[in-house]
Amino acid sequence: MTKKLKYDLVAYALFAAVIFLAVPAYLNFEGYELNTFARYLSLGIVSLALALSWGTAGILNLGQAATFGMGSYAMAMHLKLKSSQGLPDFMSWNNVEELPWFWVPFHSLSFTLLAGLLIPASIGGIIAIFMFRARISGVFVAVITLAFLVAFQLLVIEQQGYTGGQNGLTGLAPLTLLGWTVDIYSLSFYYLIAACLFVAIMIGIYLVHSKFGLILRAIREDADRTRFFGYNVASYETAAFCISAALAGWSGMLYTLVLEFASPTYMSVSFSLAIVIWCAVGGRESIIAAAIGAIVVNLLEVRLSDVFVEGWNLILGVTFVLIVMFMPRGLHGVVAGANDWIARRKDSRVSNAKHSNLKSRPEIKGGQ
Amino acid sequence: MDVLFNQLFSGLSMASILLIIALGLAIIYGSMGVINLAHGELVMLGAYATWALQHFFGFSILLALPFVFVAVGAVGWLIEKIIVQRLYSRPLDTILATWGIGIILQQIVRIAIGPESRFVSGPEILRGNIQIGNVYMSNYRIFVIVLSIAILGATWAIMTRTEFGTKLRAVIQNRSISECYGIESERIYSLTFAYGAGLAGVAGALITPLFSTIPTMGTGLVVNAFLVVIVGGLGSLFGTALAAVLIGQATALFSIVMNDTLGRIAVLICIILLIRLRPRGLFPGKTRN
Repeated sequence: MTKKLKYDLVAYALFAAVIFLAVPAYLNFEGYELNTFARYLSLGIVSLALALSWGTAGILNLGQAATFGMGSYAMAMHLKLKSSQGLPDFMSWNNVEELPWFWVPFHSLSFTLLAGLLIPASIGGIIAIFMFRARISGVFVAVITLAFLVAFQLLVIEQQGYTGGQNGLTGLAPLTLLGWTVDIYSLSFYYLIAACLFVAIMIGIYLVHSKFGLILRAIREDADRTRFFGYNVASYETAAFCISAALAGWSGMLYTLVLEFASPTYMSVSFSLAIVIWCAVGGRESIIAAAIGAIVVNLLEVRLSDVFVEGWNLILGVTFVLIVMFMPRGLHGVVAGANDWIARRKDSRVSNAKHSNLKSRPEIKGGQ
Repeated sequence: MDVLFNQLFSGLSMASILLIIALGLAIIYGSMGVINLAHGELVMLGAYATWALQHFFGFSILLALPFVFVAVGAVGWLIEKIIVQRLYSRPLDTILATWGIGIILQQIVRIAIGPESRFVSGPEILRGNIQIGNVYMSNYRIFVIVLSIAILGATWAIMTRTEFGTKLRAVIQNRSISECYGIESERIYSLTFAYGAGLAGVAGALITPLFSTIPTMGTGLVVNAFLVVIVGGLGSLFGTALAAVLIGQATALFSIVMNDTLGRIAVLICIILLIRLRPRGLFPGKTRN
């Protein structure tokens, strides 16, 4: 077990203790509060999904909200069908006579759950193959994903008869999972979302610490060199992009469950950049930190926007700019920095005792 | 046929405003590699500055233009000095920082002036239309088109015919060697950023009679302008101009064939394909990297 993995697992255990025990206890197991917190947890998954592609592989995906929205709509379509006899209400308002073919399979829950992961993954995969085969990187990835996001949101709003347009999908039925009808204001629902978050984090940690994660980091540092070592950079990037898209879709499904509706605002440019903000605030290099970043920013948003109704966005903007300027590694960077510092002090004390004679040697400067 | 020409004309006037916005963005991106996502908010500031000048001092848009240019340019200069200058070594992070700046500017305006939309009346002299056949061309839109061409020309002249432009091009080619020759690259960068921001302000002033002035007006514009810059190619003014016209007209034409939204979607898909096939843009400038 490497030192970094140990560090991550300790953080994981601590974080799990906070989310599973401390938070429900602090909120007095009160349904409404728990539901609000469950919302932050579901957003944690999309943030960690971005950490996987951006922090690990260096792919700045500004279209993360598109895949998030696909998952969200997949879940909403299932719940909408469940709540309506025959045709969903908004379709008849828009003169759609018959249930469109792509709505039909969403009657089945297992199809929906699969679709919420696989549709974002495969559409993400198509975009990824398209981009990474042409060795597009950096800013251009950001532009293409952003353009895709805008186009996708326009399409969803435009196809009002099939997607509910600007209103999104509302009036959803509660989910029935293995005979258990989910009450979103219950403790068990909170634990369901929390469990999903921790499974997602585990997947993320596993990937980051596997050889796959190592190669992704190599690509982030220098794609050409990784290519010269014989790795197929495009397929690694595509895989990272797909997994990230699937996780975002998962997050979207949970988000629909928590809020009981799906809206095209989930696919807006500002929502997508908000995900980037959460991820950057937490620390893009760490899966856990990115999830914590989403939770912390959203928690502060709700708490502080009560106090400073107008000023919250100002505080968010200023904080974000300061973090980008002075803490590029986010909150995680501070913790990791402190950790390193302690480790170095310990080391230097040991090495001072052992090789005090080496220290006095003048530094040799090489010419160029 | 008349529908087509009317669409083409309104497409052209939108394209020329897009051109002014994109030109500022392109200069900033081309010279420092900074993607300024706050650019849309600078446009918004320009629009509000015009509104304020008209509301409090009774300036018409034409009279307000130079003031707006200087004021928004000054804001840009400050942003560069305080924030962007520290991030030149991390170009991807500038996307994030400037987005944060955009949020700040938007919120300041929302708190100071209010979220409701503001009205700016067009200039008196440019009221009325010119009619050719069945095509109506409003004088104001013609003015916008002419002014944008003039701005393009002026920018080209600054880049190629002045000492500042020569220095800027030297810094773009190779920053460290230019510094060895005594060019203060930091100063050049600040001025360039200010100039780009000033252009955004001018675009904001011009857009006021055509668009409603609200705090969120910049977000949609910056995405479009950003696409124009990438499609046009790095470091090429005329590439940017052509891309702006192309995208403006393509949107107008697709909107006739399909509808507005599908037209925009079709254009976005074309842009994605284009970036994939020519990642350096249609007309990449000659830079050594």
